[in-house]
Amino acid sequence: MDGEMNDRVPGWEPRIVAFLCNWCSYAGADSAGVGRLQYPAAVRVIRVPCAGRINPFFILSAFQKGADGVLVSGCHPGDCHYISGNYSARRKFALLKGLLEHIGIEEGRLQFTWVSASEGERFASVIDTVTEKVLALGPARRMEKRYT
Amino acid sequence: MTDCTARIREETARLLAEGRVDLVIGFEEGSLPLRATPCFITEPGDTGRLIWNAFCSNNLARYLIRSDRKVGIVAKGCDTRAIVELIKEKQVRREDVVIIGVPCHGMVDPHEVRERFGDIRIQTVEDTGGKLVAGDGTALLSMNREDALHRSCRVCVQRNPVISDVLVGEEVEERTRDEFTDVADFASRSAGERWEYIAGEMSRCIRCNACRNACPLCYCSKCFVDETRPQWVGRGTDPSDVLSFHLMRVLHLAGRCVECGACVRACPMGVDLGTLNRRMSADVARMFGCRPGLDPGKPAPLSTFDPDDPQDFMLEP
Amino acid sequence: MTPSGPTGAVLVLGGGISGIQAALDLADSGFRVYLVERRSAIGGVMAGLDKTFPTNDCSMCILSPKLVECGRHLNIEVLTNSELTALEGVPGAFTATIEQQPRFVSTEKCTGCGECAKVCPVKLPDSFNMGLSDRKAIYRLYEQAYPHSYMIDSAVCRRCGLCARKCSAGAIDLDMQPRTLSIPVGAVIACPGFEPFDASLIANYGYGTFPNVITSIEFERILSASGPSRGRLLRPSDGKEPHRIAWIQCVGSRDIHRVDNNYCSSVCCTYAIKEAVVAREHSGGNLETTIFHIDIRTHGKGFERYYERAKNEQGVRFVRSEISRIYQDGSGSLILRFPENGRISEEVYDLVVLSVGMVQDRANREMAERLGLHLDSHGFCETRTLSPVETSVPGIFAAGAFSGPKDIPEAVMGASAAAAEASAMLSHSRHTLTQRKSYPPEKPLLGGRPRIGVFICHCGINIASVVDIASVRDYAAGLPNVVLSEEALFTCSQDSQRMIRERVAEHRLNRVVVAACTPRTHEPLFQETLREAGLNKHLFEMANIRDQCAWVHQGEPEKATQKAKDLIRMSVARAKLIEPLPQAFLDVNRTALVIGGGVAGMVCASSLADQGFGVHLVESAAELGGNARRIHSTNDGADVDAFVSRLVESVSGNPSITIHTGTHISDVSGFVGNFRTMVENAEGIVEEISHGVAIIASGGEASKPDGYLYGVDPRVLTLQELEDEIARGNPDVTSSRNAVLVQCVGSRDEDRPYCSRTCCSKAMKLALALIEANPLVNVYVLYRDIRTYGFDEQFYLEARERGVRFLQYDPGNRPTVEIVEQDGRKRLRVVTTDLVLGREFSIDADLLGLATATVPSAGAAELAGLFKVPLNEDGFFMEAHIKLRPVDFPTEGVFVCGLAHSPKTIGESIVQAKAAASRAALVLCRDSIEAGGTVSVIDGPKCSGCGVCAALCPFKAIEMDESERKAVVNEALCKGCGLCASSCRCGAADVKGFTDGEICAMICSSVARGL
Repeated sequence: MDGEMNDRVPGWEPRIVAFLCNWCSYAGADSAGVGRLQYPAAVRVIRVPCAGRINPFFILSAFQKGADGVLVSGCHPGDCHYISGNYSARRKFALLKGLLEHIGIEEGRLQFTWVSASEGERFASVIDTVTEKVLALGPARRMEKRYT
Repeated sequence: MTDCTARIREETARLLAEGRVDLVIGFEEGSLPLRATPCFITEPGDTGRLIWNAFCSNNLARYLIRSDRKVGIVAKGCDTRAIVELIKEKQVRREDVVIIGVPCHGMVDPHEVRERFGDIRIQTVEDTGGKLVAGDGTALLSMNREDALHRSCRVCVQRNPVISDVLVGEEVEERTRDEFTDVADFASRSAGERWEYIAGEMSRCIRCNACRNACPLCYCSKCFVDETRPQWVGRGTDPSDVLSFHLMRVLHLAGRCVECGACVRACPMGVDLGTLNRRMSADVARMFGCRPGLDPGKPAPLSTFDPDDPQDFMLEP
Repeated sequence: MTPSGPTGAVLVLGGGISGIQAALDLADSGFRVYLVERRSAIGGVMAGLDKTFPTNDCSMCILSPKLVECGRHLNIEVLTNSELTALEGVPGAFTATIEQQPRFVSTEKCTGCGECAKVCPVKLPDSFNMGLSDRKAIYRLYEQAYPHSYMIDSAVCRRCGLCARKCSAGAIDLDMQPRTLSIPVGAVIACPGFEPFDASLIANYGYGTFPNVITSIEFERILSASGPSRGRLLRPSDGKEPHRIAWIQCVGSRDIHRVDNNYCSSVCCTYAIKEAVVAREHSGGNLETTIFHIDIRTHGKGFERYYERAKNEQGVRFVRSEISRIYQDGSGSLILRFPENGRISEEVYDLVVLSVGMVQDRANREMAERLGLHLDSHGFCETRTLSPVETSVPGIFAAGAFSGPKDIPEAVMGASAAAAEASAMLSHSRHTLTQRKSYPPEKPLLGGRPRIGVFICHCGINIASVVDIASVRDYAAGLPNVVLSEEALFTCSQDSQRMIRERVAEHRLNRVVVAACTPRTHEPLFQETLREAGLNKHLFEMANIRDQCAWVHQGEPEKATQKAKDLIRMSVARAKLIEPLPQAFLDVNRTALVIGGGVAGMVCASSLADQGFGVHLVESAAELGGNARRIHSTNDGADVDAFVSRLVESVSGNPSITIHTGTHISDVSGFVGNFRTMVENAEGIVEEISHGVAIIASGGEASKPDGYLYGVDPRVLTLQELEDEIARGNPDVTSSRNAVLVQCVGSRDEDRPYCSRTCCSKAMKLALALIEANPLVNVYVLYRDIRTYGFDEQFYLEARERGVRFLQYDPGNRPTVEIVEQDGRKRLRVVTTDLVLGREFSIDADLLGLATATVPSAGAAELAGLFKVPLNEDGFFMEAHIKLRPVDFPTEGVFVCGLAHSPKTIGESIVQAKAAASRAALVLCRDSIEAGGTVSVIDGPKCSGCGVCAALCPFKAIEMDESERKAVVNEALCKGCGLCASSCRCGAADVKGFTDGEICAMICSSVARGL
């Protein structure tokens, strides 16, 4: 069985850490709010200046701390406030995603996407999709550090 | 004595005598059979220590890092790939290095030899073209050389030096392209199976850092594992910390790993580190069209980008 | 004019992108600005666009930072719902009368929560969405609008008072009255924009009758994620997804029969391509798109590639055919009939988009009348090619589409150019009317442990109705290092700001966390409060518990409350680690270096000198003038030779300008504010120039043609050579009987997949000049598309009228030229196949003109390397942003103008040169350059000098110290994106204000488990 547990764990609420770039995706999340678009409350947002700011270690760290999913969203290609930060970041993300899949972290735990400032609807549906996938996978235990 | 050994000694003596280098890094006989170890020759009279055989597997490039001396170095394909990357990363100045390039038929893994020949006390090994002939003083046994190679050498795409100042020995024919079938095979397993395998391998890691220390491209003055503010990764053998360490190590080598296999050979616990490196190399080659160390003029894949880079891995809700 | 000099304030009429750009340029260079906008918010047409060509950037994403900047600027007063009613006085000392209509909502008090609109009973079509959706009588023009506050549409409001009762901020005042303002200004910039052509004037298209015939502007709203269908591509009649869409070009443009508009609107071809490409993306490729056009005019920078890509890779179909009438079938779909391959084709489309052009409306005409401006016959403000932003009234400058059809970068450049003119006129009064805020000295932290105050906002009921504020407050009070946790009805109100200042003092707070709305709009406000309280503004952190919590989890109060606690815990964890970030100030050398002594360079140098700055002008040739010496006259009849002579004279005689002819640049070091450049002459003598900014105006040149017997037969000339010969009155040329002009020789081909932009208009000018000289001449123009964009269309019409023959050729089957011996004479025989008539023509020419490409000057690549600025794939300099930063580079303090940027006309070069001067002046007029704040920092001992950070830095803010093998950050250039920090393997690079430690603290505290 690939998902560690496909049945809902009683009392378990998924925790998803989202890294959003300040200029597009964070604004897109605000825009979802302005439109009062409803989405699941599982996501905890960390604002960063640019997708290019995201060190792959941030993502590993979130999983170590017990995140059930991680979302990274930046400006669409060409829209980057810092000209090319998202292009450079995209290479890192592609490699990290491949590596985590290679070691058996389930597809769906880590997602990358682009959301622009005006795409409130897209942001809401990204959160829907990500949360749904994580719910189906159940709690992430593989990389979590057990503090004993 | 092979031709290569003689030529290496000759070139070393010449370079030292002419004062072109202060030092030549090469191999000498190890203290155990089936081993060769790095040696550092500063006197023309000492060149007789230098050898070239099937066990010169160490990547010597790491001894060049931030050296202030003029250095000559005996280098196989993979050593030169590392040198190319180190030059790009400004850790080595091309003008400070004289490369004695040696085409390589692949280096032999002593474990494979021992496994094949069982318990005999090997005293000599002769490398005769396609065969390895080992002797314990009384009998002679032989095996296919190809079957005894290090894993990294079996998939090597660059047996000849990428750059050199002196070429020693005949160029060898390069293999057909590496299709990363091992990576594809592993990927075809289920996520659960992959995890079981990786977790099993990682559970043996004792965090001795031998892999890091052997790598020709690990040269930071302070490694992320030693960082405390913030502490990126715990120091113990907690499975989560072990995995994080290895993932970050591989990510730090993304687009830089020259596939020499030094980390794998260095691991005292026999952890299959290669599976992580191979996946990374496969992705770098597939997505960014890059094999590190082969193209001195090309920027490292993580130092640049292409607006048309693949992004099919991204979520479209 | 007052004895002390002109009034140091400028009135900007129109709050579109032009007005915003002009206002920001002027306010940042020491003038007070009044930005007057008729509508309730600034943003103009651009705010309604979905994407922008040719990069498909999101329009709102690139615009909204400018809106915020404009809105928050201490020296820009934005007057919305306002109209100029009178302008009196003289240049330098005008008095403007502005009438402002009441908004009925206080912009200070309104939080933009929208509760009022929910209860408003009056519903009407939303004009911002072209009536495709509804709005209420109390509304906001669009989501990201500045001012952010709502307003009441008094024409439809029933004054029921429901909104006022609902508003917990007490922002609504139904008794607000109109007010009249009298404002002294020194200069005026008129940029009131344009209106889209009213498509219902062309009755045959059924616009207004057939619901599925819409305008391109409406289609932008349909595509927009914030539009009426939230970005879903649906047609109006039945809300179904269209599978076939047609665009009809030139609706209201290039049409002298139906509407008497003899100009081209310049932008419609490229925007139609954009809409087709974006629409196909929306539909996942399951969409047929056809563009019906006359010529395709993709003459802008990067547009030709965009067109080719749309045609060859993205499946957009182009049909060269005029559509005279649209029919509707029973299902609401539309039938188009058009001639194709000699017969009439009929096709059915689900949706037809009319590519409407730009026109001037009555409001703009009336405004022009009040200002006394001359307008052309179409109502556009009259300007001249060689003085492109000056109007008929001294002291009033025109920008944007008010003076003719323009795309966004042209509008932005025009706005900056107008700002430069105003700045030059008022330069003696710079900084006389601007305000500067002063703050108490910052309290040192003295290494004390963090004392954090948390302020939690109810936002009226916006947060409080979902999140249990009391429980969150108590939770926050128990977090480590929190010494105070307090709630407020509106944290952003004046009295709450005062309360925060008091609490900082009472409780000796040294970090402040506000849990409220979004930092994107409110962080600057709270940071201001911190500064007033004597704290460094970076000792602030915000938790977004409204936009990203209460508003999006309205049905789950418990989960929302838990999330609010988590978000505050994360903010507190970060707050503990934040440190005050010092600001450093670097001196500015107030001298400019202008590279290139052509028209662009000279105009730029003059403008900077007029604005009060010293200039060094470097030219590689022995004398100034450049390409303009070979233009002679403009299409509108101006004498370019005289203009260039005057310009050379005035530049040479200007004591502020030092000229270095016959020299080139051999080395550049330094950065914005403090460059050092080595200028070397032919003898190898090197002079060092210190300067604060550099403007690259290194120009371009005409390519040398291959083939067409150029260089073999003396009758074959480039258009540039032909122009020289005509100007010289060479009888061999002026008496020719059969003249053939071949367009696109070396442009729009595989080697140079771009349009050289000026050649079609130049061909019209030369054709008309040949006819003028010899009325019996037959002139043939062999072309692919005629691209006489803008007002130059009239010269195309004139050429047709005067008998010039236009033969369209296929690029796969180019015209051929050979010498044929006949009757003892060597005839120059041109053979071409006309695509329109489908037959071959053979012309014995005695003159053959070749429209060669404009290519970058030979030294461009070297200059790019020296200044560390990029070139595009065609070798032209690549600006920082193709839309909104058309003369800037990512590297601060370096600018570009003229042909070095891309092919353009002399008039366009002048505009861009003045724009570059305006942008450069923003640096030069400062006392110092602020560095520091949120910037990258390299920990020297950890750095291994691998150079990955320097290679990646988009702003070239990191340099490698080769001897020390270390990376060094230039804080004056760093923007704090953090790409270096995330890429550094050694952990040497970090970003102040977004440190690894702070981010990790947030990650650690983000997941409740284990805590």
